[in-house]
Parts: sequence; C-alpha cells; structure tokens
Amino acid sequence: MRTITIAPKNAFRISVEAENISTDKFAPLTLSQINSLVVWQGNRQKTLSDLFTVEGDDAPATTEETTIKLIGDYSQVKRIGEGMTAGVVEVQGNVGMHAGNNMKGGLLSIAGNADDWLAREMRGGKVIVMGNAGNYLGGGYRGEKCGMRGGEIEVRGNAGAYLGEHLCGGSIRILGDAGDFPGAANQGGTIFIGGSTYLPGAEMSKGTITVKGEAKVLPSFLKTEIVQVDGLAFQKYTGDNVDNGKGELMVGVGSS
Amino acid sequence: MIIKGGIVYDPANGIYGDEMDLFIDKGRMVEAAKGEEIDARGLLVMPGGVDAHSHIAGKKVNTGRIMRPDDARIGTEPRTAVCRPSTGYTVPNCYAMGYRYARMGYTTAFEAATPILEARHTHEELEEIPIIDKGALTLFGNNWQVMECVRDKDLTKLAAYVAWGLRAAKGYGVKIVNPGGGEAWGFGGNVKSQNDIVPNFDVTPAEIIVGLAKANEMLNLPHSIHLHFNNLGKPGNYTTAIETLDLLKDLKPSRMRQVVHVAHMQFSAYGGTSWRDFESKAPAIADYFNCHNHATMDMGQLLFGSATTMTADAPLEYGNARLTHNKWSNHDIELEESSGVVPMVYNRKMLVNAVQWAIGLELALLVKDPWKVLMTTDHPNGSPFVNYPEVITLLMSKPKRDLEMATLHEQVPKRTTLAGMEREMDWTDIAIMTRAAPARVLGLEDKGHLGPGADGDVSIYDLRPEEVDTSLDHVLVKKALANAKYTIKGGVVVSKEGQILATPPGRTFWVDAAVPQADTDRLMVDLEEKFAKYYSIQIANYAVQDAYLPHAQIIRAGLPVLSEVA
Amino acid sequence: MSEAIMIRDAVCSFCGCLCDDINVEVEDGKIQRVRHACRLGSSKIMGHARIQSPMIRKNGVLVAASFQEAYDKAAEILLAAAKPLLYGWASTSCEAAKKGILLAEEVGGVLDSTATVCHGPSVIGIEEKGLPGATLGQVKNRADTIVFWGCNPAEAHPRHSLRYSSNSCGKFTPEGREGRKIIVVDVRETKTSKNADKFIRICPGSDYEVISALRMLIAGKGESVPDEVGGVLKADLADIAATLKAAKFGAVFFGLGITHSRGRYKNIDNALSLVAELNSHSKFVIMPMRGHYNVGGIGQVLAWSSGYPMSVDFTRGGPYFNPGETSACDLLARRDVDAALIIAADAVSNFPRATAKALAGIPVIQIDPYENPTTLLSDVVIPSAIAGVEVEGTAYRMDGLALRLRKMVDCSLPSDEDILMGILESVHKQRQMTANEGA
Repeated sequence: MRTITIAPKNAFRISVEAENISTDKFAPLTLSQINSLVVWQGNRQKTLSDLFTVEGDDAPATTEETTIKLIGDYSQVKRIGEGMTAGVVEVQGNVGMHAGNNMKGGLLSIAGNADDWLAREMRGGKVIVMGNAGNYLGGGYRGEKCGMRGGEIEVRGNAGAYLGEHLCGGSIRILGDAGDFPGAANQGGTIFIGGSTYLPGAEMSKGTITVKGEAKVLPSFLKTEIVQVDGLAFQKYTGDNVDNGKGELMVGVGSS
Repeated sequence: MIIKGGIVYDPANGIYGDEMDLFIDKGRMVEAAKGEEIDARGLLVMPGGVDAHSHIAGKKVNTGRIMRPDDARIGTEPRTAVCRPSTGYTVPNCYAMGYRYARMGYTTAFEAATPILEARHTHEELEEIPIIDKGALTLFGNNWQVMECVRDKDLTKLAAYVAWGLRAAKGYGVKIVNPGGGEAWGFGGNVKSQNDIVPNFDVTPAEIIVGLAKANEMLNLPHSIHLHFNNLGKPGNYTTAIETLDLLKDLKPSRMRQVVHVAHMQFSAYGGTSWRDFESKAPAIADYFNCHNHATMDMGQLLFGSATTMTADAPLEYGNARLTHNKWSNHDIELEESSGVVPMVYNRKMLVNAVQWAIGLELALLVKDPWKVLMTTDHPNGSPFVNYPEVITLLMSKPKRDLEMATLHEQVPKRTTLAGMEREMDWTDIAIMTRAAPARVLGLEDKGHLGPGADGDVSIYDLRPEEVDTSLDHVLVKKALANAKYTIKGGVVVSKEGQILATPPGRTFWVDAAVPQADTDRLMVDLEEKFAKYYSIQIANYAVQDAYLPHAQIIRAGLPVLSEVA
Repeated sequence: MSEAIMIRDAVCSFCGCLCDDINVEVEDGKIQRVRHACRLGSSKIMGHARIQSPMIRKNGVLVAASFQEAYDKAAEILLAAAKPLLYGWASTSCEAAKKGILLAEEVGGVLDSTATVCHGPSVIGIEEKGLPGATLGQVKNRADTIVFWGCNPAEAHPRHSLRYSSNSCGKFTPEGREGRKIIVVDVRETKTSKNADKFIRICPGSDYEVISALRMLIAGKGESVPDEVGGVLKADLADIAATLKAAKFGAVFFGLGITHSRGRYKNIDNALSLVAELNSHSKFVIMPMRGHYNVGGIGQVLAWSSGYPMSVDFTRGGPYFNPGETSACDLLARRDVDAALIIAADAVSNFPRATAKALAGIPVIQIDPYENPTTLLSDVVIPSAIAGVEVEGTAYRMDGLALRLRKMVDCSLPSDEDILMGILESVHKQRQMTANEGA
C-alpha cells in the first residue's frame, strides 16, 4: 500500500483547480513526477509543488493500492479525486467544489464539509462526508439528462438544495436535513433523507426517495398507503404525475 | 503560390486524377504564378469543399447553443496564439465552425434558413465565423406577402417581393420550408399535404412552391428554389416528395441549373404508414431523379450519435420533442415563419434510426449522376458536419458499409436495399458531390473548381489516389479526410495537418436582383400597410444594414435588361 | 441657431422592449424633445449629469487622468489578477460585448452579465427544457390569452402592453384588449393585475406547486390535486386551466417574481413544461420580460462566441460554464476574484449587500456614462458615450430580435467599444514589455 500525503503551503484566496489530485493520476508516478503535475489557480498554471507539499513513498503502485491523504484546509481546492477509478482519497478537513466528479470507483472520504457539486455525475465507488455537503450533491452538469449513475454517497450531516438532480442510478444517504428539491427528475436512483426537506422528487419518473422527517409534498403526487419500515410508519406517494412518473416517495408519519 | 505535382480532381473542368501543378495569384487560380511552393507530389488535390446546406448561423443555431451547455462542453479547445477558443460538437461556437470546416478542406458553407426579420442576427454570426466564405438562404414559404401575391396570382409583385426580401435580408436564395405549415403552426396547426388550403390565406403549398419557383426564374437568380417538403420526417412522405417535384418538371430554368434543389432528401424518402411499418422508399425517389433533370438533392445523411435538430418546420420539431420526451425550443416569427430546435440521439439499434441511416446512402448510391446529389448531413440535424469523412468513406467502401450493417438492428436489410448495393464511389464522384456540384447547384461560378479565375481555394490530402484502396483502406481514408494536409483559402494556407495557421475573414455572398420600379412601387403599398398594422417594428429598421456585412460579395441578378443597365 | 433635425424611428435603449418608433428632435447637437417614448425611455434619452473625465484613485481619492492613463492602469490591474471578473454588459451594445469577450479571453477572466441577478434562473430553466417562444409581433397578431406571471410590465415595461401584448391590435386580434383574456399571477396586487380579467394571488414561494397543479389539471388528472395549492382554491386553478386550454394562441410573460422566488430555475423549468404541454391542446408560447435593454444581446453574443450565454470562465483558456460557481454573485460571495471590471451596470446596487462588499476589497475598473454607487469604490473610472444615443450599435429585444441602435447626437467621449479596445491594446503593450524585459 502506497500512501501520499499532501498539504497546502498557504491558505488560498483564489480557488485552486486540482483534478490531478487523484489516485489514478498519482499511481504510476514517482514523487518528483507528482510534484510537477499541473494545477491551476485562476489563470495561473502552476505545479502541485508550487502550492502543496507532497510526501510519501516514491515508488509507483497500482491505483488500487494508492491512498492520498489530504491534510489541512481544502475548502478552496476543487475537483479533487475527479474521475478516480480505485484507491482511497482521504480528506482530513473540508473540501472544495466538485470533489469526486465523475468518480468511477474507490473511496473518497471527507472528514469535514464538502462544497457544492460533490460527486457530480458519479458512476461508481463510494463517497463519505462526516460533516455537511453543499448544493447539487450527486447532481449532473447543466443541460444533461443524467446526473449520478451509480455508486454510493453518504452524508452524516445536512445536504444543500438540488441533491441528486437527474439521478439515474446509485444511492444517496443523508442523515440530516436536505435543502429544496432533492431527487428532482430522478430516473432510477435511491435517496434517503434522515431529516426534513422541501418538495422532493419533482418530475421524478422512477426510483425511490425516503424522507424520515417532514417534507412538503407536491400536489402532483398521489397519496397511497401507510407502510411500516423498520418499525417506523411512512406515508407512501407515487409520482411525479405531471410526467406520469412511476417513482416512489415515502415521508415519515410524525414519529412524535 | 505553386502547388506542385498533385493528383488533381477538378471534375468541373474535366480533370479526373491528372498529375499537374496549380497556381494561385492574388487569391485566384491562374495559369502560372511564382511564390511559395507547396509540395503535393502524388497527393489527392481537390477544390476547397463547398457545403450548400448547413445550419451554421442565426437565431435557431444560437438557441441550440443556449439550450445545450451539455453539448458545448464536449468540444472545448483553449484559445491559442492564432485561434479563439472552440466549444461544442453539434452546435459549435462560431470560431469552431470556421476552424473545423477548414481542417477538413472546406472553404465555403451556406446557412440554409434565415427569416428576413432575423437576418441581422444571422449576419452577426456569419461575420464571426472565420476563414470560410458564406451565404444565407432566405425563408419565403410561409410569408404573408408571398401567400397574398400567390393567392392574387400577381407574379410580378411576388418577384418584386422576393428581390426586396433578399435585399432586406442580404440573402442568397429562396428557401421554402414546409410551405403553409409554418403559418398554420401560428395557431398550432399544420398542413397535411401540398394540396391543403393554408388556414386564413386561401392558397395551397403547391401554389406557393410553384409561384416562388416561377418568381425565382423570372429573377434569374443564381440558385434555384431550395425546398424542404411538406410532411418531412413522416412515414409515407415519399409520395409528397414525388408529387411536389412533379409540379415543377415543366418549368424552364433561367440558368444552366436545376429548377428545384431538394434539401436533405433522406428525411423525405420514407415509406410505410407509421413508424411500425416504416421503410425506405429511396429506390422510388432515386428512380424519379434518374428519369428527370429538373431537380437536385442533398443527402441529409444521418449518422449514429448525438445531433441537434433545428428547422423552420416547427410542427415537426414539436412532434420530435413529444416523441423523444426531449427539451424543445420553438420560435415563431411574425408574418414570416416558425421554427424549432430539439436535441436528438440516433441509435443504431433503433430500427427507425438505422433505416434512416441506410436511406441517405441508398439515395446517393442509386442516383446515377453524382451532379444531382450533394453530400450533406443537414448539419446538425443528421449529424454534425465534422463527420463528413465518415459519410464519404461509407460511399466509397462497401466493406465499411457491411461492417456498419452488421452492428445495426437486424431488420435493416428487409426495410432497405442497401445491403445488396455494390457501388463504391471514386474520387471523381466525391469531388463532384462535395465541390463541383454544390457550387453549380448554388450558382457560385468561382467555387468548386480550379480553372483560371476560380477562387484560390484548394484542399490537399495526405492520400495517394494512385496507391490507396479506398474500398479496403477506409480507416486510413477517413483519417486523412478529417484533417487535410493543407487547406488553402484564397491563396493562403489556413490549415496544415489539422493545425489552423491563419484565420482570414471569409466573404458573405448575397444576391441583389433588379426588378421594374413599378412593381416595387405596387409592392411597397402592401408592405407599408403590413408594417403599420402587423409587424412589431418599423419598416425603417427592418432591412439588414451594410454595417453587418463588412466582407460582402454581391451577386447581381434580376430581369436581364435591368441588371445589364445596373 | 441651427435647424432642428428630426430623427425618426430610432430605437429606445432603455428596457428589453426596444421600442423602435421613437422620434427625437435634435437642435444644436442637443436632444430637445423625445416623442413616443415612455417616461423611462424618455428620461434615458434626454440624459442627465455625466462623468466628465477619466479618473484614477490615488491615495484614496479619485483624481482626473487622461484616457490613456486610465487604459494603462486598467490593463495593469487586469494583468496582475489571477481571476478578474468582467461584469455588466446589459446596457451597452453587442459591439462592445464582442470586444469585452476578447478582453476576457486575453486576460483570462470570468465574464458575466447582469442576467446573473435577473433572468439567470430562466437561462438554467431553458437548459433543462428549451424555450417555446415567438417574436412579440406573433403575440400582437394572434394572442387571445395572455398570462403575466411574477412581472409588472405596467411599471417596468410601460409600452409593452400597447405595442406587443394586452392592448395591441393585429391581424387576428383586431379588437385588441376587448378580444383578449388577461390573467395575472403574482404575490401582490400590481398596476398590471388591475388591468387583468383574472388575478390569481399566490403565496410567496409557491410558484412551483401552483404550476404542477396546473399541469395536472390541464392533463385531466386533477382529481388528486388538493383543494388548495399555494393559497389558491382548486376551483380557481381549474378555471385557469380551462381558459388556457381553450386559447387559440396563448402567451406567458414572466419576470423576477418567479425567477427569484423560492424554487428559482425550477419554477421556470416547470413553467416551460407547462407551456410545452399546453401546445397539445392549444398554441402557447412563453418568454422572459428582460429588463436592461441589451441583456438579451450579451447572452446571444456570448453564446455564439463561447458556446454559453452567461457566467463564462476563461481563466484556463477554454470556456467553462457553471452558474452557481462561475456566476458573478457566487464568485464575489466566495471572494474568489481578485479584480473586477464593471461596465454598463451598477454592480453595487444590483448585488446583495454582502456580495457588493467583496468589491470593496479588490481593485475595480468602472466603465459607465454615469456616476453611481459603484463609482465610489472604483479605482479606475472611465466615462463612455451612450450606446443608442451617442453611438450606433446592435441590441437584442426581449424576444431575441436584433435591432440597430442609432446615433442621435455627437459625443466627445469614446464608446464602450473604443475604451475596451484601448485597454486591450494596453494589455498587449504591457505584455510585450514584460516579455522584452524577460528576454
């Protein structure tokens, strides 16, 4: 197992785009090659070593055997772990936008909070956030029909608005509250929200959304029966009927 | 400039693969010249490519961009010392259009449909497309003034309006799209045949088409009418195509060219009564073209993958959007037209798409005379223009067609005749379909050939016609066609092996046709009333100002006596 | 005294209506009288106190400078920045926009328009669903049913009703207002709602739900719709649905009341679907009521130049677009820009206060004919001639129609286009100098 540890040299005022910080990119490279990978800060093209210290084993390894540990504040660093297929990226603090974009495999774990577009267009692998996540978690790109297509995301805290927009597969689990419009245009993925939310499942055609807490439900959902899951009562709805959707929405029936 | 030792295909001048030197001076082909030498020994040399039907500029193209950031992100190339940035695949930005045409060896492309009212926008975009020469066809088929002239059988007033409209739009020719259907769409309807009455106007599409064709010939325009049939894109529509063509067969052209050019024939060569029993009627259409000489067509070839459909046929687009459950833009233009834009993905395993793919190829292979068939994909309706090398290699290689066929829905051989077709085109056929014929069909005298006086537009490919087996080596051929070894535009090397070296601005062609003042005077009475009552802008602000065409190339036409005086 | 000149059929460069029937009387190089324009347009054309000279902030105070000094200082600021923002563009010509895009590419900046604080959500909605629209003349000639949703043209677009919508007359609408049904949906009564046949007052933030309920009713699936949605009785919604379905030609105009209420672009997304579905029953179009006269134009120019209509990030050379990330407000809120060029817009007044505050911490270049709150925190101020009054140019009406702006009077100040070229040339010059020093 090869572990590479990276830490920012300074706090970043202008955000950094660092899609090269990924297990796939690091795996075949020596430390000095990793040091010279390109990162961008605004319109300035820089090397990884201009902005970060890089330490760890020098010898290349397979992607599966590569672990990247990110120490310090990455809240202004975007696109970490983009497209990774295997291995582990471990963020010990907060992470910036677009972490795990288009991720296909491996594990991205974030000890702090994640900014917007975490795991955008994710296809596989697993993302765990111990803190909160921003807007568009597991969402898509503007104008695309599909967001996340596969894999698993778990957020222990709260998530922002529009999570799982255009979800085409995979599962998202939020233990806290979720912002407005979770699972909009869901086409087959699974969403669980431990807390409360607002207008889940707008225009969903397939898939399931479960809200344990309270949720304002759209007038275009059809109320069906009360079901018991793990000893808790849920009101079941089907929809979104504006589009003859066959999605399933379950909202907790006041546990109080 | 001297281009040395190329194997030249210049069918307009009877040159079919002869080894010869070419000379360019002051941007034009000449008999002899000095200067920069380009080594083309043994390589394929043709005139710069000419695209006679492509959607490259204007409101609907930009609408396609605005509604498709998903498409824009596909083709991103950063700015360089020479180039502005590129984006997009089916709806590229203006810069990418110029660069990508030039890379393939194309030097001219015509925008296929512009309403007069929105021509200013079209010219803003055309001017922004670098390198290539351009022009825009002007829409007349759903125009109130046109329909009223046709209803009143006032052909001279109609001709005066066409001339006025072309001048106002700085347009090149007469485009007719689903005549009458666009007006009916103003209240959500359509016409179902060329003999339906257009609601509120008491004319039929057939009358509109014949009237405009007669006006077109009366004005002696360089291009014929350019027609998108009624019922386009619907099963069983080949009868509409043949019946409509038959309306025009006795008309005399005013120039040595066709009387009607049919846009993207593939979309109008359908049999069957529904998508269920949908089948190719390409053989019937090809027969008609083989037996008649008044019509030309462009293929409108469909390729698998992503496309963005965009057309003035707005009811068709609404149907597309409902059928595919895709996003839908519509844009009706007061007193003139309607239009729509819908993204599309063509799938080789979908029977309908696979049959459509085959129909385009059948048409090109079954029509005996390549001068009657232009190679297009109706960019970006059938596929983006960057895929022309794919279409060309399909036409040149039976093995390639067989390879493709093997991956399609298994019903294709039953619904089309493509499987049994042995014909493989040669470089002369291709030079005609992509250069000589589009120039002749459009009436561009200095394009599509390499004779003295022609524009110094030359493409040179890294292919040795005397060695390469275009049937077997289709992979190599496709690769070579995608990036010309040299593309020369007006005597300047603009692209070399896929790298853009220079970005001179292209010219924009438009046609100024002379008509008797008395006819224009009669017309203006009508138009002034229309602007006072119906248009939402003043007549003074209608016509495209000269400022929008800093590189205009005016072609004079009109009543012969008048144009001579002018 | 010279003779008065009458300029006829000029285009008003105030709001997205771009009224093109304005007559202007000019005498001694000054505009004396404006005819046909509304009071908003008239006041713009007549003009008011202008910035007289370029200014550069020295020791905290703006002091007069030459244009060249201002261009050089502006270029220096832009070149020093890792992420400059070039913002505004809604109240200038497309010709200026073209030069602005070139400058943004050249200095590796982010270019965004005021759409980001008005119809940005509409653009995102259109990216989801497309825009079923028409030119305004189509509405004038055909519409028998018009819906104004979250907009108040009677105040914001005063001539809209007479020229294009409620009160206009056309070929199939000879009776004008008499022959039309006007429906207004808003959270409060407005001047526009007073002219309506039916006013639907909805609860703030309930647009999305109300639209979903209407979609259900129009599709004949109303039985499951609750008795009240967004504060509106189901019976009233059913009534509206029936009216919309029965239209021969319907038009929906919408404004910031729906784009900036809870749900934002999702509201527009849903409204676009509603209109698409209505076309299975009747003919329907929808369009945003654009505010600044050329906010549509910058969107068009940016789209054909970069592929995207707003919020384009050129920092890495290839255009990148992701509103929420690359939009001016979001960048400023995150303090993720280090210089700003504000042109033809008053960013300080447009932006939320916290966002505007971020401008105070970075160098700001302002290009504008008029002093405004943005001037107060600018480091370089460059006064410009007014497009559509003092210089020609192109603008796009709210329906996407391009019109030619006229020049009515002379002005000694350079145009926005000239100023941007001046800055661009200075950028080239300074780059060349740096390259030479390096060599």
